[in-house]
Amino acid sequence: MSNIDRRTLVKGSLAAMMAGAAFSRSAFAQSSEPILLGVSGPLTGPNAQYGTQWKQGFDLALDEITAAGGINGRKLAYQFEDSQSDPRQSVAIAQKFVSNPAIVLELGDFSSPASMAASPIYQRGGLVQFGFTNSHPDFTKGGDFMWSTSVSQADEQPLLAAYAVKRLGLKKLAVLHLNTDWGRTSRDYFVKAAKEYGAEVAVTEGYIAEERDFRSTLVRVRDSNPDGLILISYYSDGALIARQARQVGLKQTICAASSVYSPKFLELGGEAVEDVHLGTRYFPEDPRPEVKKFIAGFKAKYGGQEPDAFNAYAYDAMNMAAAVVKIGGTDRRAVRDAFAKVKDVSSVIFGSATFDVESRRVKGAMNAELVVRKGQFALWDGKPT
Amino acid sequence: MSSWLDYTINGLIVGNVYALVAVGLALIFGVSRLINFAQGSIYLVGAYIGWVAVVQLHTPLPLTIIVVAAAAAVVGLVIERFGLRPLQNSVRIAPLLATIGISFVLDQLVMLTFSPNPRALPSQLPDVRFQLGGGTIGPLDLLIAGVGLTSALLLFVFLRYSKLGWAVRAASQDRDAAMQMGVDVNRVNQAVFGIAAALGGVSGMLVGMYYNQIDTAMSLQATLKGVVAEVVGGAGNVPGAVIGSLLLGLVESYGVAVFGTSYRNLFAFLLLVVVLVLRPNGLFASARQAPPEPLTGTFIAPSRPVRIPRWALAVAAAIFAALPFFPVSFYVLQTLINAWLLGMLALSLTLVAGTMGQVSLGHAALLAIGAYTSALLSLTLSVPVGLAVIGGGLMSAALGTLLISPSFRLRGHYVSIATLAIGEIVSLVILNWESVTRGPIGISGIPPLSLFGYDLISPTSIYWFSFAVMVVLALLQGRLLTSHLGRSFRAIRDDDIAARAYGLSLNRYKSLAFIFGGFAAGVSGGIAAHLYSYINHETFNTQQSILALTVVILGGLGNVVGAIVGAVALVGLPEVFRIAAEYRILIYGIVLLLLVRFRPQGLLGTI
Repeated sequence: MSNIDRRTLVKGSLAAMMAGAAFSRSAFAQSSEPILLGVSGPLTGPNAQYGTQWKQGFDLALDEITAAGGINGRKLAYQFEDSQSDPRQSVAIAQKFVSNPAIVLELGDFSSPASMAASPIYQRGGLVQFGFTNSHPDFTKGGDFMWSTSVSQADEQPLLAAYAVKRLGLKKLAVLHLNTDWGRTSRDYFVKAAKEYGAEVAVTEGYIAEERDFRSTLVRVRDSNPDGLILISYYSDGALIARQARQVGLKQTICAASSVYSPKFLELGGEAVEDVHLGTRYFPEDPRPEVKKFIAGFKAKYGGQEPDAFNAYAYDAMNMAAAVVKIGGTDRRAVRDAFAKVKDVSSVIFGSATFDVESRRVKGAMNAELVVRKGQFALWDGKPT
Repeated sequence: MSSWLDYTINGLIVGNVYALVAVGLALIFGVSRLINFAQGSIYLVGAYIGWVAVVQLHTPLPLTIIVVAAAAAVVGLVIERFGLRPLQNSVRIAPLLATIGISFVLDQLVMLTFSPNPRALPSQLPDVRFQLGGGTIGPLDLLIAGVGLTSALLLFVFLRYSKLGWAVRAASQDRDAAMQMGVDVNRVNQAVFGIAAALGGVSGMLVGMYYNQIDTAMSLQATLKGVVAEVVGGAGNVPGAVIGSLLLGLVESYGVAVFGTSYRNLFAFLLLVVVLVLRPNGLFASARQAPPEPLTGTFIAPSRPVRIPRWALAVAAAIFAALPFFPVSFYVLQTLINAWLLGMLALSLTLVAGTMGQVSLGHAALLAIGAYTSALLSLTLSVPVGLAVIGGGLMSAALGTLLISPSFRLRGHYVSIATLAIGEIVSLVILNWESVTRGPIGISGIPPLSLFGYDLISPTSIYWFSFAVMVVLALLQGRLLTSHLGRSFRAIRDDDIAARAYGLSLNRYKSLAFIFGGFAAGVSGGIAAHLYSYINHETFNTQQSILALTVVILGGLGNVVGAIVGAVALVGLPEVFRIAAEYRILIYGIVLLLLVRFRPQGLLGTI
């Protein structure tokens, strides 16, 4: 050993390893190497929390897929690249994935600017971009390689409007929404549906994501004399609004979009979110077997933590990806075609999911009408609050 | 009518919250003439230490406050000792960059320790509410007001009547004279950072309790609002910072009352610009107060730039131009495309900030103007993409210069703050002017780049295109710097009074610099829009402005080659550190700090 230069040794062994890797890839394409999916999402930066939730959902789904024997005997794995939800980085990641032949399918990104900036690269590179939180109406119009299981707001918002107007009997509504593409689209669908059901929308207020103080906004809301507040919010801002609404003395019924469905909403909102109504895609005591399996598995894996909406989206997305790859194999075009072929995939959000080939989205999300009672999400019993 | 009372009360309540951050910023600015971008991070650290104390250790409130104040003060002392003191004899701009690096590091450390999920920070005060107007206030509102006012008062007394306080004031008026009189300036700085950090930490904790929510994204927002409030009150003026904060709260609240929630921050930043233009020293600065910045150019000290021979530059350009012929992956090309686009932005910024001395913190706005102009021209008017990009550059040059012109009379840090505000205003106008910009929905389906009828779709062609555009802009700018015009720019930067005495019209030259810089930035934004095919108001955000400034300082202010080297480094490093996953931004921050520490004049030096 002593007479061999250390650098040559390292070089030599590296070369040997690379040769070995190349050999194994070509000779044993059907070997034990995992099938690789690319994930582009935020792990640092202002949206980092959502990336961490994705990971939890992915990992749980992968555990189950592996336990069930993987994809035709091969393991499924993902490579998570942090984009900070920044379009500059998501396009670089897109090129990285497109030029890596091992990647058969891409998941993400989180925000619309980051996702849709990368779409042209995925489309031209012929790699499916599977955006499972991309509700922007134009996302799947980016090309036939863009597919999404994000619940269409055209589906969700009329359900929320029906809950607020028909079931809860609210007649005059104040809508507070995140002023993002998601919040804006949702608001428009909600307002349209609420009007159809005969309610009046007294005021709509859009706020930016970093906003913390809503007291003055709530004075505006109060002055419009609504009998209900509609929150098109995520859980952290939703909890802030509910707290401050109670602090400024607003006692009206609050009804929120499904994106507040998270144990964090209860933790951050405390007593203020008691009696808040929300439409969700699943709920803790849901008798559906796929939901029971998801919640039990999640709690077991993450020390009793309750899963939330973003965990569920990620879990569903990974299961969908597995089902697609099972049909399409590792050829990227075949994977794209498999999205049109895959049928009735068991799903927490949709019950069973089948893509609409025209819009490249899934229709018919499940709906449950919940209310917060004694600090817990519970199925609404029809009693007024 | 009663609603107006409520709006007033709400404005004061939120102003109260801003005051806590603003006082700490004012104190530091008062002594070291430094906008401490790390103040928001200390606020974040304080909030999480408070969470550990309250939720894990169940400390009672007075003890919690003491623990948080002490721990935050230690963080402040460490920052002062290891982050800033080594830089005190270097360029004035270096500490600014250092605080940006420190804030990256602190934010990432908190995120890695506590995960990015938001947490509840329960208030330890009894939950009683007092009716006030139409709403209620709680004991925490009173405590926050108490802490804000008491600390402002204590600081006032400390600065006026204690010996260390005198030393602080002496050091802030004239550091060298104070040193000659035997004042231990380091000890003064230490005291100031300790106090400001303690205050910052406690305020983070109190605000966390107030909203029952803490998360790692709270630091940048806190810094932004704190800076606005501080400057409105008069930078470095502690009681002024409190009043500035209350005023900011009121303006926001009335803005919401009259125009709606989505206009809220627009009014905050408009207030800032108006105050800066009318009373550049802040509302409460006395006329006799010494000018806040030295009159001559110590803000950007000249250094000996690294001379790179022409042939080396030509060889480097040839290598990069030939790169696509070598077996490099599209990923590398795409990363370099990003670097070239950032390089164009940096060229623009290095001209106005380095050569002209107008350090802009709102440069992303120029990108946004260029991008929207080019996207809308090509989509709605079917202008060919090549022309649309040029149109974007022209619009950016015209509109950018127009927007910045009211702040031409400002100097030093005040320019940075004014441009920061203008940048935010542009982004908020894009968000709200829906009939043109399509608001938050953004513009999708922007056609790809094309030139003379040929679509540039492949990464290779986009690479050549963006590289060529950048090289042309760089050559033009290099030519400009060696011309009569470039010398005039530098003369104004180095000594504007002498320059004026020689008959140079400051406003005209500043306009020329912004016109040229605006064009480069606008072209960069325009190309980005066609590359991404989708943009909205979030695509070009404050982080991009800060990144651009970092590139420019890193490369060496005013240095054309430096701007490009800096852009390659700052686009490349986070990609290289990908292997470190969640840790990559932390490593990036540390590398940045080390670079500032050992090359404060930038990699290639100021020209």
